[in-house]
Amino acid sequence: MSDNILICRCEDITEEMVKEALDSGITTLEEIKRFLRAGMGPCQGRTCGPILRSMLARKLNTSLQNIEEWRKRPPLKPVTVSAFIQVEGEES
Amino acid sequence: MKHNYDVAIIGGGIIGMGTGCYLARKGIKIALIEREYLGSGSTGRCIGGIRQQFSTSTSIRLMRESIELFSKMEEEFGFPVEFHQGGYLLLAHSEKMVDIFKANIEIQKKEKVNVSLLTPGEANKVVPHLNLENLHAAAYCPDDGQAFPFAVLKGYKQQIERHKGALFLHNKVEKIEKTNPFVIMLQDGTRIESEKVLLCAGPWTAEIAQTIGLDLPLSPERHEAIITERMPKFLEPMVVDYREDGCYFNQFISGQICGCYTPIPNVPGIRDDASFEFVPNVAWRMTRLVPAIKNASILRHWAGCYTMTPDGNPLVGESPVDGLYVASGMSGHGFMFGPAIAKHLAHYIIQGEWDTDFSEFSINRSFENRESLK
Repeated sequence: MSDNILICRCEDITEEMVKEALDSGITTLEEIKRFLRAGMGPCQGRTCGPILRSMLARKLNTSLQNIEEWRKRPPLKPVTVSAFIQVEGEES
Repeated sequence: MKHNYDVAIIGGGIIGMGTGCYLARKGIKIALIEREYLGSGSTGRCIGGIRQQFSTSTSIRLMRESIELFSKMEEEFGFPVEFHQGGYLLLAHSEKMVDIFKANIEIQKKEKVNVSLLTPGEANKVVPHLNLENLHAAAYCPDDGQAFPFAVLKGYKQQIERHKGALFLHNKVEKIEKTNPFVIMLQDGTRIESEKVLLCAGPWTAEIAQTIGLDLPLSPERHEAIITERMPKFLEPMVVDYREDGCYFNQFISGQICGCYTPIPNVPGIRDDASFEFVPNVAWRMTRLVPAIKNASILRHWAGCYTMTPDGNPLVGESPVDGLYVASGMSGHGFMFGPAIAKHLAHYIIQGEWDTDFSEFSINRSFENRESLK
């Protein structure tokens, strides 16, 4: 497999970048997300999340269920700013 | 297991990592202890703004120095930290605020900050999409900017490792014992002995200080932020609206817009939960100023802590406990203060005296002189 394979399509994070981060001593999905911005794009990690999880499990030589998921952030999928303003307008 | 060090640093945010880097480079044997991962506290939750527009000369001087240090990081670390000087545009929607800006600009100019008071028309040239309604004036410094906190932490980490500093991550401090040397007990049973201790654990600083009988005037409070999808660059500076229902937002060089506001009343406590009311409020406040933002898509909403002091200025220096140093209470400005405070604090810890005036941040001060630009 080539190291140029894209893992996070939203943020252009390649397998090579993830491997480098794992080699630097990263041990949680939360760190991969924050230091690399993987999973921070429009799909919010729906594509790269499971891949990163298995890469981390392999690196730490443990099973998938031992890898804690990263924290989910609202609104879970992209919602326009104007949609929130309409909510506010209805209330006031 | 027992470990011996010259300086044990509690807290893996910008202050701890920066000071650790400067100490390790001088050959000081350091241990850095972090409860989770590097940047998991306030540093990694901040939006990365860096400004020199403050109201006290100590803060202004340190921020000037921080800008200088941020600008050299790419060369120093060998990779970009996304430092960009897009400026800060502070908005005054009342004559009272204009007067505060004028007084501050006078102090800032004495410290050689490139800052000026703009008319609404001039502010409109800096942010072409700006709604000028009720705008009286704006304070503008084009040299202020932003950087990516995790890139800065990565750089400091590599420097600490290169100079043989030890990192204890995902390990909480249970207590500090006032012995000679200090003994720090960690959650997993690790025992660290150290001549000196630097406590820079952001919102957790006060409760760790309690374990050694030290009371610090620190109060953590929750602040929230949202970030949008990446968009083509259209906003250069951080825009700060100082009205009670104001907000502040900028666009990263990677294209995302990041927006926040300071809740009134404040939300005390160490908490990182996201509130329901924040997103509609920030959406309305941002679009009032720059209507074009209404078409952006919000991706995430999160929260983190400011660690406040009674006067809004940091708490930095040696504590009443000999050999125990404190650097906390950054009051929302820790990331931007970080590099400069780290550099001077490392010198102070090694030499026993400051190489610049830190009396305004002294732990024993009266807390009467409030920072006016929160």
